[in-house]
Amino acid sequence: MRWHKRLLVAGVTGALALTASACAGGQVRGAGGTPAPQASTSTSQAAQANDSTFVYVPNLDVVTDWDPATSYSNEIVALSNIYEGLTRYNSQTKKAEPRLATEWTAADGGKEWTFKLRQGVKFHSGATMDAEAAKKAIERTIEKKGGAAYIWDAVDKIEAVDAATLKFTLKYAAPLDLIASSGYAAYIYDVDAVDPDGKKTAGTGPYTIDSWQKGKETELTLKAFDGYWGGWKPEQYKKVAFRVTPEITTAWQLLQKGEVNFVQRLNPQLFEQAGMTGNVQTSRSPSFQNLLVLFNTASGPAKDVRVRQALQAAIDYDGLVAALKGSAQKASGLVPQGLLGHVNGMEPKQDLAKAQQLLAEAGYGPDLPELKLSLTYAQGDEDQKLLVTLLSSALNKLNVTLQAKPMTWNAQWDLGKKQGQDIFVMYWYPDYPDAYSWFLNVFKSAEKPQFNLSYLKNADIDAQIDSLPQLTATDQLKADTAYQELQKKIIEEQAAVAVPYVQTYQRALTADVEGYVDNPAYPNVVFFYDLKRAT
Amino acid sequence: MTATGAPLRRRLPRIPDRFAALGAVIIVIVVLASLLAPWLAPYPDDPNPLESLQPPSAAHWLGTDKVGRDVLTQILYGGRTSLFIAAAVLAVSAVVGVTLGVVAGYAGGWIRDMIMRVTDVFLAFPALLLSLALAVVLQPGVNTVVLAIAVTWWPWYTRLAASVAASISTRSYVDAARCLGVPAPLIILRHVLPNSLTPVLVQISLDAGGVILTAAALSYLGLGAQEPTAEWGLMVQQGQTLFTTNWWVVTFPGLAILVTAFAFNVLGEGLRNALDPRRAVK
Repeated sequence: MRWHKRLLVAGVTGALALTASACAGGQVRGAGGTPAPQASTSTSQAAQANDSTFVYVPNLDVVTDWDPATSYSNEIVALSNIYEGLTRYNSQTKKAEPRLATEWTAADGGKEWTFKLRQGVKFHSGATMDAEAAKKAIERTIEKKGGAAYIWDAVDKIEAVDAATLKFTLKYAAPLDLIASSGYAAYIYDVDAVDPDGKKTAGTGPYTIDSWQKGKETELTLKAFDGYWGGWKPEQYKKVAFRVTPEITTAWQLLQKGEVNFVQRLNPQLFEQAGMTGNVQTSRSPSFQNLLVLFNTASGPAKDVRVRQALQAAIDYDGLVAALKGSAQKASGLVPQGLLGHVNGMEPKQDLAKAQQLLAEAGYGPDLPELKLSLTYAQGDEDQKLLVTLLSSALNKLNVTLQAKPMTWNAQWDLGKKQGQDIFVMYWYPDYPDAYSWFLNVFKSAEKPQFNLSYLKNADIDAQIDSLPQLTATDQLKADTAYQELQKKIIEEQAAVAVPYVQTYQRALTADVEGYVDNPAYPNVVFFYDLKRAT
Repeated sequence: MTATGAPLRRRLPRIPDRFAALGAVIIVIVVLASLLAPWLAPYPDDPNPLESLQPPSAAHWLGTDKVGRDVLTQILYGGRTSLFIAAAVLAVSAVVGVTLGVVAGYAGGWIRDMIMRVTDVFLAFPALLLSLALAVVLQPGVNTVVLAIAVTWWPWYTRLAASVAASISTRSYVDAARCLGVPAPLIILRHVLPNSLTPVLVQISLDAGGVILTAAALSYLGLGAQEPTAEWGLMVQQGQTLFTTNWWVVTFPGLAILVTAFAFNVLGEGLRNALDPRRAVK
């Protein structure tokens, strides 16, 4: 499935609770927390050397941007294994854990953060990773202003106090340990070794690039970075390949034959079959990825709020979730469960009578002029297609014709930036475990819309969005209330969006893979280093 | 057959073999079933997601699809779309193609050259590719499919009609009409056109299956009929990823396409044999 764009996720209640305590006290987190992966190449006795290649099956091209500063798309599945940030979010403990930073403290009410960096870490380029290098990397990412660079907006100043100490001074309080765990724009890399053509990599992660052939079926292969600070054990996978397979039935056959090891998403029917197949294991976990149906609030017939409300009421939410058979959960509001800002009791319901009445007030309906609406959605995405089928059938009876167009992400997005449709369907997930990105990126006014594809412009809502980071860092109760009010305004009053469901990730792997844990903070990412092959 | 009986039988249009008869029967059934879909269909043509992907049963003879629509109902309604497309494409192609062909065949000279060169330009593109290109540019939908296919179909009728018309134009009764001062349009209308129609009719019945297949292909690729319009190609497309787990979603519409295209084909074949004396002698 397509999950272009942007942002991602997280299970944040715990994380934010952490942040708050950090802000309050400034105690050390990380130290003594998760230990670094043991460097024990020599110690394993019986383990057999794993010389097999781990094959990951994405359904779309993997790499659109090799620059770790600006990357903001599907390549996260590769880059997360090549680059590392200061921290990594653990979706089970709901905390940021040490990665390139071993411990950190917050002071001044969350406005000053000091990270202690891991020693003895080398970049793939051979250079040493130290505070100066980390500072340069983050500053370059900020300057580039691409992708998810906004995550560093709170940062006022970065100082390399000494080789092992990196100090951030913020403009306003923000959960910097979580921000530093972001799947996008938080990588620490050697700024002098960045290669936009993907021939070299500049990270510190366990894998480097072996080959990249754009457009080929086996688009990308990775190999182990011998100098990885965590060391290597014989049973870990040293080679990884990404084999692009758009057709899920093909992917399923390859998996059954053992030719590939991991399939990102099957349809619910094949997933059920996978659960009953001997040499295959499955993994199912809730995600922070929800479907947004964005209505054009700026032009066209949906400019009329009654039309937008009618569209909201015409969606068969329960039917959609039923037809998705376990691969999705009905959404309540914009923020998925598990994040601060999630609201209970906002589950939408289909109400065709209300839809008809609202349409009639707007001058459309069965005995009134026909309404034609254009909708764009992701080509090849069966789940979005279901929505289109159900919505078009429901609207058809109300004398509304839905002209739905499946498009590649780039084409859909380009058209969206030009206000080229009435309804824009896409997934959203946060960059770091926080609800903020749904509001900042999707609903804050923008002269040139990037992801604000409902084109909502509302000064009142903007002001409230701006207040969110600080509230989140200083007063969670108020933040929760603010999120709730915002969702009421955006969904109920403005009717800028309908949120039908939150995806449930359903993965299928070969049975010989051990150690796989789905981390919804890094959607679709497999951390290959954590896996081993059962013997 | 006897020596005396054969020539007589050859001259009469007839259904010459059992296959063609079978084809005709199937077509009649498909046409009637499609026309009567609102009365014959066991369920309304609406999604019912709670019933999605039910296997064939007494309640749903051919099962249900992903959003819980009854597959039999969808096939009946889908037949209307497919047959409408076939009828519209063939009507448009035949009218345009035969008109131009007859004019070209009768007139000859530079008129014929001009018309035939334009025809050649259209024929130079692979038919499906040209249809695809058109369908991509235009707003997808049933009308687009009709237009996209008709654009690639008419040149064949032009060629056929032109060659037939050219030979008829040299007949003595046409010469006679010309000598009597009958204006050209009237000659074309009264003499050339009626006598050119037989091969065109045969061609139409042979082509109907092809048009249905092409329309299904376009819909399958997402360029033809759009939700919630029921269409066979679209149904196959929606069911393709379910083939190994829910075979009925894709199998039955696929069979509908196969059977209908086959029926038109054998009927056309039979008509050609019946109407073409040289072929009738077997």
